[in-house]
Amino acid sequence: MLSSSDQTSAPVEAAVVLPAALHARPAGQLARTAMGFGCSMWLEHAGRSVNPASVLAVMGLGAVAGATVTVRAEGPEAERAVAELAHILRTAE
Amino acid sequence: MTSSVGIVFVSHSAELAAGLVRLTAQIATGDVALAAAGGTDDGRIGTSYTRILEAIRQTDRGRGVVVLADLGSSVLTVCTVLDDHPRSDVVMVDAPFVEGAVAAAVSAAGGADLHAVAHAAREARHAVKF
Repeated sequence: MLSSSDQTSAPVEAAVVLPAALHARPAGQLARTAMGFGCSMWLEHAGRSVNPASVLAVMGLGAVAGATVTVRAEGPEAERAVAELAHILRTAE
Repeated sequence: MTSSVGIVFVSHSAELAAGLVRLTAQIATGDVALAAAGGTDDGRIGTSYTRILEAIRQTDRGRGVVVLADLGSSVLTVCTVLDDHPRSDVVMVDAPFVEGAVAAAVSAAGGADLHAVAHAAREARHAVKF
């Protein structure tokens, strides 16, 4: 049974142009949300890839306003994870 | 939502510990039990056995407490408190003070258990800042 999106095996990804720097507060929000998902997740920026559930790693990317970051997930609920994480990135203040 | 793991910040400086509570509360943005135990009982630079014990009690919501200490005698005073009041669900973690605090608080806000919160704090040592 592979019809449900929860069974997705192909990686899902979304690119987001950051409206604001990925500093402490949005990084914290991103990490908290990511922790709620059981799939594998990556946040990519400037050739580096980190676990979005790690607030320190996310801050360490040093992504500034206007930069493009890509959120990627694979496994259970990957689509929902990418949608929610991308939403946080898109609305970061 | 179930209650979070508690986190106590022990510092020689009351301002440093209190500032860390404010900072981590902003980043973690959740209902996390955080408490500062900074300075001596009479407000000088140093550590206080009673302040640490009180902070542990304050943050204990039944899911355990992680204690982070800044330096030297903070660590020793925490050891004395934990020796006198041994509990398997109250642990001191060897971690960088600020980074460990942020990582632990976000983890606790996300609903992680004691083991995972302690692990997040410990792993902060390996985080690349820039």
